[in-house]
Amino acid sequence: MFTMLPVNLRLATRSLSRNPMRTLLTMLGIIIGVAAVLTMVALGTGARGTVEDEVASAGTNIVFVKSGNYTRGGDSVGIAAGRGAATTLIEADANAILDNIAGIRAVSPGLSLRTFISSNGENVFTRVLGIAVEFSDIYSWNMTSGRMLAPGAANEAVIGSTLAQTMFGGNAVGQEVELRGNTYTIVGITDSAIDDQPEILFVPWQTLQQSMDISHLDSITIAAEKAGETSRISGEVSVLLRARHGIESRDDVNFLAAQSGGGVEPDDFTVETQAAQALTKGLYTPAAAFALANLPKLDEVTLDEMANTLDRASNTMTALLASIAGVSLIVGGIGIMNIMLVSITERTREIGLRMATGARSADVAMQFLIEAVTLSVIGGCIGLILGLLSAKVIGWSLGWPASVSLTAMAMAIGIAATIGLIFGSYPARRASLLDPIDALRTE
Amino acid sequence: MSVITLENIKKTYYLGDNTVNALRDVTLNVEEGEFVAITGPSGSGKSTLMHILGCLDRPTSGKYMLNGNDVSGLPMEALAEIRNRQIGFVFQGFNLLPRTTATENVEVPLLYSRPVLTSAERKDMALSALSSMGLADRVDHHPSQLSGGQQQRVAIARALVNNPAIILADEPTGNLDTKTSIEVMKLLQELRKEKGITIILITHEPEIAAYGTRIISMRDGLVVSDEANTPREDFDETRTAYKAEPVVAAAAVE
Ligand SMILES: Nc1ncnc2c1ncn2[C@@H]1O[C@H](COP(=O)(O)OP(=O)(O)O)[C@@H](O)[C@H]1O
Ligand SMILES: [Mg+2]
Repeated sequence: MFTMLPVNLRLATRSLSRNPMRTLLTMLGIIIGVAAVLTMVALGTGARGTVEDEVASAGTNIVFVKSGNYTRGGDSVGIAAGRGAATTLIEADANAILDNIAGIRAVSPGLSLRTFISSNGENVFTRVLGIAVEFSDIYSWNMTSGRMLAPGAANEAVIGSTLAQTMFGGNAVGQEVELRGNTYTIVGITDSAIDDQPEILFVPWQTLQQSMDISHLDSITIAAEKAGETSRISGEVSVLLRARHGIESRDDVNFLAAQSGGGVEPDDFTVETQAAQALTKGLYTPAAAFALANLPKLDEVTLDEMANTLDRASNTMTALLASIAGVSLIVGGIGIMNIMLVSITERTREIGLRMATGARSADVAMQFLIEAVTLSVIGGCIGLILGLLSAKVIGWSLGWPASVSLTAMAMAIGIAATIGLIFGSYPARRASLLDPIDALRTE
Repeated sequence: MSVITLENIKKTYYLGDNTVNALRDVTLNVEEGEFVAITGPSGSGKSTLMHILGCLDRPTSGKYMLNGNDVSGLPMEALAEIRNRQIGFVFQGFNLLPRTTATENVEVPLLYSRPVLTSAERKDMALSALSSMGLADRVDHHPSQLSGGQQQRVAIARALVNNPAIILADEPTGNLDTKTSIEVMKLLQELRKEKGITIILITHEPEIAAYGTRIISMRDGLVVSDEANTPREDFDETRTAYKAEPVVAAAAVE
């Protein structure tokens, strides 16, 4: 049966190339269907990949407290306008969190700054983070060379690997950097690849705070003892800090309503889990900020919840694309069936002749089945190219990576071939059941 | 040896309440190498007989022995194989595939050969069949680039390519002018003489039937006369004025 394949393929391509416009129009449904399938798969696996990457890289046990809150700037209109400034977060808050909340492994106060630092007379603009020595434990740092800041040492610094490379060609340990009038000696290079850490200079937060002449913190970084406790910890941190900052505690469910009425004082801090931070990265638009600021508990969302949300979003998209794909594939299949029936009517005498010269019913059926499958597979290939393009475009505009595996491509072509088989089988059978005498007599 | 033996062949068509007895009772014996011309008026059952002889159709009753084998009760799949190996058809309208070269047209029966032939074997066989029809310089032409006579010669090459025992030709000259008709008859006579192929020719024209070694006349589904004939050997068209108007060659299969 398959020995006829090359011949049948040649017959099929010849027959299809005879009417290029008709062939193309017939393939349209398959093209769109396969493109939709591919876009669907690409975005689906892309979204899942994002979540999985973040789970892998971020871990699930870190909670951030940040000074200020999205709701501050936009109080009057009830729309978030960015994280409002606040100077109420202090070292005592960090100590209180460590003392009062169970299940916390380590806490580090933080101060963040973008500034010029100078070394050997050269100025570099970079990010500086004031941290406590616990910071290396929170992020499970390894030092590629040197060591972590020593407890109590005021003028030591640790440098991220990328920054070490750009500033010192990698030989950073022992170098001195000047920042806000203080000179720090670099004692180690961290291997951390999390977030922007490779590009940050880390210094003791107390020294940085003094040199900036302030008394508040920008952030507190908390490591939970166990992964999966971040949700509880962030809830307790919120309650604790509201109490400490004299903010009326509130029922989260009624929060939105109360706030739009203007009756409740907003928080002056933001609690975020590592998960929420990681996952909203890249989706950072005013709308997203508004949603983050105004949805109860969203800041406390766990990675699992966030992953579920993203999964749901990608499922919605998948469902939409799947219905487009389904409909176009069926329409495409019917188009193929229709054009095959037309083709068989046009070629009835050819079929009669083939039968008269020895073609069995199965030979005739195979010829037209292969023609239908060729039609749908060519359509599938065009759809594949189109789908890859559209996945790229949609992925790019949503900030979602769109990855298409070879398996997915093979699957798309497989679907196209299956459509050709299913919808080609009825016309093929019709052709094979023709009576050779009648067929030869056809005008 | 008998190539064809028909015993009491009947073929009845049922059209609603009407029955048409296309063949009433045909008994016939054809020896190897005969050139049988079957004539008769339209509707006398010539084509029906040819379809049964060509294994395209099965008789309603009666027995058909082809090369000593009873084929009257075989299923259609088995008949397809017999058509492929033992029978070559030549049609009035040529039935060549359009936009397909002469070689590929002649290869069609070879596509269904068992055991399977390679494409090189198919091509060789097609080319030699074409050159035996004097078309060695036309092998890559499409039907639309060939004259009616050339098209019919491609069709004969196609009928010959599998070395069949019988060639069945239903009005092969019906679409050809006198001169070309004579050429085709000459070719068929040569095939008979040189290869010993049995030829069954259907025609309603006595002048064409005269090229056969035996002439059978049919009427109303019955054989009414069956006589040996000294085949006409003159290929001089000026002496045969049986067809004044050249007929426009029918288009190939569309
Ligand atoms: N498929 C068919 N169905 C019904 N009647 C048919 C069919 N084929 C042929 N006939 C009838 O059988 C008779 C013989 O037809 P045919 O063999 O074609 O005659 P010829 O070829 O001698 O003109 C005619 O009356 C014709 O109408
Ligand atoms: Mg007839």
